[in-house]
Amino acid sequence: MSAAVEAEALHRFFHAGDEETQALRGVSMAIEPGEFIAVTGPSGSGKSTLLSCLAGLDEPDGGTVRIKGVRITRRPEPERARLRARLVGIVTQSGNLLAHLTVAQNVALVRRLAGARPSPARTMELLDSLGIAARASARPDTLSGGETVRAGLAVALANDPAILLADEPTGELDGVTEHQVLTLMRDRAHGGTAVLVASHSGLVAEAADRIVTLDSGRIA
Amino acid sequence: MIRIWMAGLLRRQPARLIGAAVGIAIAVALLASLGAFLAHAKATMTSRAVRSVSVDWQVQVAQGADANKVAGLVAKTPGVRAVQSVGFTQVPGFTATTSGSVQSTGGGFVLGIPPTYRATFPGEIRTLTGASSGVLVAQQTASNLHAAPGSQITIQRPGLAPVSVTVAGVVDLPQVDSLFQKVGAPPGSQLSAPPDNIVLLPSSQWNAFSTPLQKARPDLVATQIHTQLSNSLPSDPAAAFAQATGAAHNLEARSSGTATVGNNLGAALDAARGDAAYAQVLFLFLGLPGAILAGLLTATVASSGAARRRGEQALLRIRGASVRQLLRLAAVEAAVIGVVGCVAGLVVALIVGKVAFGSASFGATTASAFAWSGLAVAVGLVITAAAILVPARRDVREQTVAAGRQVITASRLPWWARYGFDVAALIGAGLVFTTTSRNGYQLVLAPEGVPTISVSYWALAGPALLWLGAGLLVWRLVDLLLGRGRRVTSKLLQPLAGRIAPLLGSSMARQRRPLVKAATLLALAIAFAISTATFDATYKAQAEADAQLTNGADVTVTESPGATVGASFAKQLASVPGVKAVEPVQHRYAYVGADLQDMYGVQPASIRSVTALQDAYFIGGSAASMMHTLAAKPDSILVSSETVKDYQLHLGDLLNLRLVDGRTHKQITVPFHYVGIVSEFPTAPKDSFFLTNASYVAQKTGNASVGTFLVNTGGSNSAAVAASVRKLVGPTVAVTDIATVRGKVGSSLTSVDLSGLTRVELAFALVLAAAAGGLVVALGLAERRRSLAIMSALGARRRHLRAAIAGETSILGIAGLIGGVVLGGELSTMLVKVLTGVFDPPPAAITVPWVYLGGLAALIVGCLVAVTVGTLRLAGRSLLPTIRRL
Amino acid sequence: MMPRSSVESSSAARSPLTAQVVARCVDVGRTYGTGERAVVALYGTTCTIEAGDRVAITGPSGSGKSTLLHLLSGLETPTVGTIEWPALGGNPRDGAQRAGLVFQAPSLIPSLSVLENVELPLLFGGAARDDARTRALEALALLSLDGLQNDLPQELSGGQAQRVVIARVLAARPQLILADEPTSKLDRGNAEHVAQVLLDVCEEIDAALVVATHDPAIARRLDHIWPMRDGRLLTKDGDAA
Repeated sequence: MSAAVEAEALHRFFHAGDEETQALRGVSMAIEPGEFIAVTGPSGSGKSTLLSCLAGLDEPDGGTVRIKGVRITRRPEPERARLRARLVGIVTQSGNLLAHLTVAQNVALVRRLAGARPSPARTMELLDSLGIAARASARPDTLSGGETVRAGLAVALANDPAILLADEPTGELDGVTEHQVLTLMRDRAHGGTAVLVASHSGLVAEAADRIVTLDSGRIA
Repeated sequence: MIRIWMAGLLRRQPARLIGAAVGIAIAVALLASLGAFLAHAKATMTSRAVRSVSVDWQVQVAQGADANKVAGLVAKTPGVRAVQSVGFTQVPGFTATTSGSVQSTGGGFVLGIPPTYRATFPGEIRTLTGASSGVLVAQQTASNLHAAPGSQITIQRPGLAPVSVTVAGVVDLPQVDSLFQKVGAPPGSQLSAPPDNIVLLPSSQWNAFSTPLQKARPDLVATQIHTQLSNSLPSDPAAAFAQATGAAHNLEARSSGTATVGNNLGAALDAARGDAAYAQVLFLFLGLPGAILAGLLTATVASSGAARRRGEQALLRIRGASVRQLLRLAAVEAAVIGVVGCVAGLVVALIVGKVAFGSASFGATTASAFAWSGLAVAVGLVITAAAILVPARRDVREQTVAAGRQVITASRLPWWARYGFDVAALIGAGLVFTTTSRNGYQLVLAPEGVPTISVSYWALAGPALLWLGAGLLVWRLVDLLLGRGRRVTSKLLQPLAGRIAPLLGSSMARQRRPLVKAATLLALAIAFAISTATFDATYKAQAEADAQLTNGADVTVTESPGATVGASFAKQLASVPGVKAVEPVQHRYAYVGADLQDMYGVQPASIRSVTALQDAYFIGGSAASMMHTLAAKPDSILVSSETVKDYQLHLGDLLNLRLVDGRTHKQITVPFHYVGIVSEFPTAPKDSFFLTNASYVAQKTGNASVGTFLVNTGGSNSAAVAASVRKLVGPTVAVTDIATVRGKVGSSLTSVDLSGLTRVELAFALVLAAAAGGLVVALGLAERRRSLAIMSALGARRRHLRAAIAGETSILGIAGLIGGVVLGGELSTMLVKVLTGVFDPPPAAITVPWVYLGGLAALIVGCLVAVTVGTLRLAGRSLLPTIRRL
Repeated sequence: MMPRSSVESSSAARSPLTAQVVARCVDVGRTYGTGERAVVALYGTTCTIEAGDRVAITGPSGSGKSTLLHLLSGLETPTVGTIEWPALGGNPRDGAQRAGLVFQAPSLIPSLSVLENVELPLLFGGAARDDARTRALEALALLSLDGLQNDLPQELSGGQAQRVVIARVLAARPQLILADEPTSKLDRGNAEHVAQVLLDVCEEIDAALVVATHDPAIARRLDHIWPMRDGRLLTKDGDAA
């Protein structure tokens, strides 16, 4: 069985004026379905860049990324977008939801982006599994910290992706809520989704099956 | 997906959509209102042209054709209301014996007038003295023959015995030029002047007079069918012209060559349609900058939401939206804004048209209504695309989701600034300006009599380049002030901000681009308002001067020739209620060489109290200096430039004129000295004439009789005063008032009533200025709430917060006002010069509408103050929630 | 450190006579909104903070930590009860003496340089320009940040930005420093560093420190821990004080 995510020798440079920063220097990794990986490392180590490349949002300067055996690097943008919609779920630290839509509408929107038909039943089921079914018609700015993260998870999981990528999802949460969220993610992993969380939180490290540490663009 | 997206936007963030739509609505409304104004103006021009014509058609019966048959044909033509047959006989001259001497004239005409003619065409013949029917003699002829009612005059007939008639009355022929046109001749070959010697006979008498002559010399006798049409013309001059000429040609065709139509109505409508075309260009040109400004405003409003939009796009891309899907969303948003804006704009324009011009339509014809509203909508859609779609596309293409976004953007000079486009445009404007000035600003090239109009669009490039170059230059200068000149800014802010002034200066320098944009927009809006208002004011003043030139003064009382009314009659006139001042003007005829010219004598010291003499009337001195010379040297005389050329005159030369002595009724020679050229004078004809000192002439000729009294009513109630004067002076004296004359002034363009357009354009200018000053700034400050909250948490007092906000609005206001005033002044001067062809006579200086400008300044300051206070209050209220979110 | 009753907080080494009360809350409460939508964020809270105290307020989100901090800073006024600041001579909001504030997100003004950001509160407080500049430079130097003085906030990393905020606090030399989740957005290494810097600064200027945090590692470094839940302070027995 192929890995859920495979990255080979990823390189990424950034230019800011005259300076060149090497964000990723030959990073290779593989995540199996059902695995829960924590990516740690100091800020500036390349965690966000790695996630962007794995998600197909950013095109690495060197190396390949495959999701479920399908190569996503060096593909035209519309194809990458389609693959991303179907295969990848992303949770960022903030701003996972569109402010002018309700939680349920956000989920429906994401379903449409993948070309699927949104089903209210499925949406409620998903929200229920994350414990926020009561907030389906709420606007994002009325949600508490924990509810916001869970709603972000719902949107990321709306299309039942092969892989869930999360960038510092629990930064603003207190210990109890963080614990709850991590439990939900572990449940997903058990269900077969590959989960990769970039975080410097100790609780995340504890919850993970494997810890990958990045330092200056390389896996330490 | 799109439906959910738009529904969410409309419910949660309507302000963003509405703000952008408002800008588009303003642009569309402005252009569509212009269309409404032009429809109204064209209709006015048409009706004015129709009213100015007394005899619509003068149908010339061909030699040898049956006049009665032609008359019948014409009468049966659809649209013809009445016909009158008029006979024309050319005669070698008239003679009369009065008070012992024989006067004789040169060649002239004898007309046969049917008994019902004067009732059908009341404007053709005006009784001066004597009876209104019978043998009528034209005023000039009576003067030449010294004839009066009761005199006997003899009419010569070539090859036949002369006929003697008794004069029943003396008349004036107001439409003598068209009466004696050469029907059917090409425009260039018309007579330069109508005949001086005219006698009108009743038809029966004329028949007896002319029939024998016709047998002998048929070339000297002709008949014209004078026709009156029923006025059911379309309101558009071009369409009316087509209808009138079409009907005339149709008649000619059906007459199989027996009729040729002298189309007076067509000629008047032709002039009107030319003026209408010109008016279209003119007002489009004046209104277009406003529409563009509205577009810039929209772009600014739309771009203020750009950051939020980029965030949403980034999020959607994360979720797997393709570039195409993002563009589609942006397109839908743009489409909604565009449609709402255009519809709202059209509705506003309809309302404005109804209120300002009394008509709710965009064009004089259906076709032009579509064209105008179509143009307005097209411009609205272009603005939508440029202001919303293009930036959205650019954001989608450029942005990579992973890349960080900078809050403080790099402050590099934009491409046009690096290449000096602003300076190049200004130089270009100067070049175009000087080139067109060499041609005397001939915007409309319409040689006399030639039916085509060509507009020199090239000359309009001058002001266009000035707009562009000056706008960019203002941007550059404000950018420089806030950027490199931050120390100056800090110093300026010192009284307001105290210790934190340098920090405010630094902060403004780093975030200066939105402020620079707002200041430029404000300057442009102010310049638009100033230039529009100044042009309108100058236009109105010149239209007034034009009317004064024709009528002479508010009310003009013209005595009949031969009447001997002394200057003392002025006292009686002055006692009429509403009269402020009365001036007598002599009107004589003087011979220079073999040439007979009108001569006007004035009281130089006081003539300007009743009528404004423009410097443009004179060459060789200002109006004031010429009058001064006339007063100081009573034997001075002002002549036309033709006279100077014909007689090789040099300043100070002696000029002997022959005038009629009032005592002996014989011609005497009166010496004058030539001091300058006069080309126009109130009540004077377009021909050559003399201008002299009345008391000198009165003294030399022993005749102090006054030809015309000019009455000043202070500009108001001229029609009412004229009516009162008419009661006083009786029917033989002509009393005209300026209000009526304004409706008949030669160029229908300058008589176009601008008041409706003025109100519309100036209102728009105010809205634009207020929006630029208020809206743009408000949007900018709304983004700054977080910083204000932080400052407050750090211990900023109320005055510090006030300084932070008021500092920006003050700089914005000052930069905008200074830039706007300078640019507005330049534009006004240039516009008035470029559009000189509109004015007749051209203005000597621009008229500055101080009241409007004062109101504009107050409005802008008020808006800025309101925005400052509003932002402070808003910041205060949202302080805690923002802090809580920190 | 054992959670203790939150009321008394003097350490044994200081004699009661010289202990100055920096802030005192008596039965303080804060309610937002009215009627049906009213939210009680805090109620029945009584506490005293004395000079030199190092207090950690812990609890889950929604427990009222931030609200209590806002009340202590004078940014908000209690709807019930009273707060006094004897050592500061009045409400820090209006008086000359301010409380130093550190928020979760770096609260630097984006359009001002690091140095300008640090001088800003001093200028608001009425300091002369040169004086403010000097003190700001000193504070930056003390935290080894003087190389960054001309940078803009967007050019700094999260940790650097928070340290600049602390420098800003240091320059003003307040008697009370209130920090709301100052390290939660930072990674482990930076969090440690920033926490240390905060404590060093408090030592340096002898200020009282109150930190709201859910990070037990930070809480461990402070003298007292006051747990909160559902809008009130708890004693070690889990009851309201």
